[in-house]
Amino acid sequence: MAELATVCPFCGCGCGLYLHVIDDVVVGVSPSRAHPISQGRLCVKGWHAHEMVDNPQRLTHPLVRRGDELVEASWEEAVEVAANGLRKVADSAGAQAIGVLGSARCTNEANYVLVRFARGTLGTPSIDCSQRIHSVPEVALNAGNSRPGLDTGQIADLDESDLILLVGSDPTEEHPAVAARVYRARQRGARVISVSTRTHPLAALADVHLPVRPGGELKLLGSILHVLLVEQGMAGDADVSGLPELRASVADLPPEETQAATSVPAEAVREAALLYASSKRATVVYSTGLALSLHASAAAQSLENLAALGASGAGPKATVLGLLSRNNLQGCRDMGVAPDLLPGYTALGDDAAVEKLERAWRCELNRETGLASWQMMGKARAMYIMGDDITRTMPGAGVAREALASLDFLVVQDIFMSPAAAMADVVLPAAAFAEQDGTWTNLERRVQRIHRAVSPPGEAREDWRIVAGVSGAMGKPISYEDAQQIFEEIKDLLPVYAGVFYPPLAVNGGIRWPTAQPRDAGGAPAAREKIGVAAPPEDALKESAAGAETSDEYPLLMAADPTLRPWDGEVTVCHTLTAAGEFTVMDQDYPDGMLCLNPEDAKRFEVRGGRPARVVSATGEGQMQVRVTDEVPRGIALVPYNQAARSGPMEVSSQPVSGRPVLAPTPISVGPVQ
Amino acid sequence: MTARMLPKNRIEEFVGRLLEQAEVVAPRRVEVGDVFYGAVASAEEVAWDYGHAVEPLKRFLLPQRETMLRYSTGDKVRVEAELDEQERVFLGIRCCDVTGIGVLDAMFGGDTPDPYYMSRRERSTVIALTCLQAPDETCFCVCCDAGPFLAKGYDQQWTSLPEGMLVEVGSERGEALVRSNDDLFDEASVDQVAARYRLAREAEQTFGDFKSYIAGAMSKLSMNEVDPKVWEQAALRCMECGGCTYLCPTCSCFTVTDRMEDSSGVRERHWDACLYSCYAREASGHNPRPEREDRLRARFFHKISYQWAQRNGRQACVGCGRCVVGCMAWAHMPAITEGIRRGVMT
Ligand code: SF4
Repeated sequence: MAELATVCPFCGCGCGLYLHVIDDVVVGVSPSRAHPISQGRLCVKGWHAHEMVDNPQRLTHPLVRRGDELVEASWEEAVEVAANGLRKVADSAGAQAIGVLGSARCTNEANYVLVRFARGTLGTPSIDCSQRIHSVPEVALNAGNSRPGLDTGQIADLDESDLILLVGSDPTEEHPAVAARVYRARQRGARVISVSTRTHPLAALADVHLPVRPGGELKLLGSILHVLLVEQGMAGDADVSGLPELRASVADLPPEETQAATSVPAEAVREAALLYASSKRATVVYSTGLALSLHASAAAQSLENLAALGASGAGPKATVLGLLSRNNLQGCRDMGVAPDLLPGYTALGDDAAVEKLERAWRCELNRETGLASWQMMGKARAMYIMGDDITRTMPGAGVAREALASLDFLVVQDIFMSPAAAMADVVLPAAAFAEQDGTWTNLERRVQRIHRAVSPPGEAREDWRIVAGVSGAMGKPISYEDAQQIFEEIKDLLPVYAGVFYPPLAVNGGIRWPTAQPRDAGGAPAAREKIGVAAPPEDALKESAAGAETSDEYPLLMAADPTLRPWDGEVTVCHTLTAAGEFTVMDQDYPDGMLCLNPEDAKRFEVRGGRPARVVSATGEGQMQVRVTDEVPRGIALVPYNQAARSGPMEVSSQPVSGRPVLAPTPISVGPVQ
Repeated sequence: MTARMLPKNRIEEFVGRLLEQAEVVAPRRVEVGDVFYGAVASAEEVAWDYGHAVEPLKRFLLPQRETMLRYSTGDKVRVEAELDEQERVFLGIRCCDVTGIGVLDAMFGGDTPDPYYMSRRERSTVIALTCLQAPDETCFCVCCDAGPFLAKGYDQQWTSLPEGMLVEVGSERGEALVRSNDDLFDEASVDQVAARYRLAREAEQTFGDFKSYIAGAMSKLSMNEVDPKVWEQAALRCMECGGCTYLCPTCSCFTVTDRMEDSSGVRERHWDACLYSCYAREASGHNPRPEREDRLRARFFHKISYQWAQRNGRQACVGCGRCVVGCMAWAHMPAITEGIRRGVMT
């Protein structure tokens, strides 16, 4: 039995683990103690990561569609069919009618090659990754110190902090390795403040928990800043650009004023703000609960403001840790899997940088801004999907399925027969994480090596090789020797990856980019040259005040909670046999949707736990199964986001500026099924 | 006590001879600095001075995933069991892990022995290596009568002295190993034996703050006197990662699955954990332990109640401290026993 060090393929934490291999089969997993993230721990997903590799349901042969059926084909044939199909759509509708989706599950190398394939070979600017919707729109937020006054934290910052502020984040569900640090920090006396609608376990254990009404997040953070800047007159020694504007923007937001919109008692807000101000070193953590709210960017900026103030000497030194949901969502963004950027956050208008890429790739690139994943729905005529879970991630009941069904041509490369793959014209079997070399970048920009530990099943191949093969069949060969050669090119071409070396990445948790980022030994942010804060856009504050009004007719506010059962139904965990039970419970027990209600509301509306209830909104009605729980405040009904996205009755609205679709909180009434 | 000396310069020869007859599983450093028990090819590979192995030996007796049998249907039904018949010597094993094997033996070797486990167990020789100081700050074997030195449960127990290994023999199998390599072993002197006892006393002084109040917890658990609040509070934290059970030398929950293709199939056994919500869930959807606090109570009852201690021959915690490292949420054995003692989880 040999142990091979690699990285967990699930959440963005990037725990180090060992795969046990016997006779070319992975038979088990052990945590790494020496690894800086896992430190000897894994969550239930990581402990069973081997089970999705040697799973009898893996795709093993290329498949092409003949009528209603997908039948086995040779690689040559499948690649030819794929190339011809894409070419045909490009000829008739133009290259921009082809949408390409990269994957937060796949390697940096595969995503990088996919961008080259999309913008170079196909000539379409429409490349995206649907999981990107689950992160805060500002690329700059996690793109290093590219903005003044901004520092992005690392997980180890939690070990140094005496205060942890969790905003829209339930790490026990989404980022267990982060939750483990929070528990340990608590144990040594660190204080915890939580801001989220649901009283998740860490909120229940927090020193102060602010159960904010969905939609009230931005106002609530405004009130915290009001207490700090206006009431406490908190001020540092360094100059802070934008401070007068910020102070003015929160001047009218004393906690009493916002109480109606946030449902949080003013005393609690003040208590939280004062506790925050009394700490020395804070880590501010946010996650999908914030990223998938209407004013995600402005709310995230409010948190950045706290860090900037700390850097100026006002309040605790703080770092902001934005938690990304998927193992390589960070890398996917780094590699330019986005319709408005090129690899390495290169702007489309940066001619010199684009030309550098064109020279390296020996092709002309499409320099337009393309369609984002949600815009592709219904607009793209053909799609090439590499390991993206679009039917799960795209908000709006049936939106993705309908869009995929209406395509003229669909190619999907994946490791399992995902819902998208089942609808494809060509299915290309990919190697799983344990079957290919490459790198992933975790949520703190830690570039880590993954290793080929076993051979792929049947004829499955590495993701980048599949894409390169299709490109070759379209007359534009993409030739690399191996993943390392691709990485060397990434490192040479993309300034953000400069200095990150490939071979040592296997050791001790990889290397964080930017490598030049100065940090003192404790991991505290280095001194900045210039510190700036930004006030939220005025209309954002106004709008969030309006929110969704409940009434006598629709007395409950229903909201989608992305931190609730976020992994249920996900294609890889559902194929992780022993653990799958944990991730299919929701679909088994709550097939129409899990409607979480406070016990008092359940009583008031005469519905019972485990039983279906009638849910009526102004626009429609349906049925859901009720779960009665204290975690949900009175007057609120929470549904897991990924269930609501697929089937819920919630309206889709869009975030300002980015235009990303989010599910809007909706007033409803609830009653027993007659 | 029969004790011998294996002088330093003959250790390599002895391990070489073991390797001729068996797979030798010993602590060794793997690529990023972690220590695992694993097959070694020479004495040089053995990390004699290791702290703690990331995992216990369990994987070698009860693999995380193993093939139990292969079968085919059709005209003629055929079933072939797949037994692991490899001879193994477990060398340099920590006392807690050696003690853990005894608990697994009680589970799998009782009235209806498990052929898969027993096939491995009957072919294994266990050589313990005593701890001259606490290998890790999380170790609490001293609370569990499972180290740092053992009085029983091993085939041989080695203690590292400046001049070589003091070898205590604990079984017929251990004695046979000395006899067949008689040329390598010297008699141990009275001083060397005395040194072993002195070192054992000194080693016990080096253990840190991770005490586990097992005896008190045992009595409350067995008499059903634990404040239910403790389980509620523990359940609020526990994330059901399963790490404590997977890392535990004595946890042995498993599940059995069939992989069928056309008319043939493979039956496999996988580790499972009684803490998982689906572990006891029945096909109907009914779950006898629906709430996490029920499952936690059941697990700790199994670990340290009188009732189970009687069946296992001892309580099932060996104080290896791995749940302290592996628990995501600070709900490990010492935290739970302390919670039971205080009536509240801190
Ligand atoms: S916390 Fe995340 S990275 Fe770590 S084992 Fe769990 S899913 Fe994997």
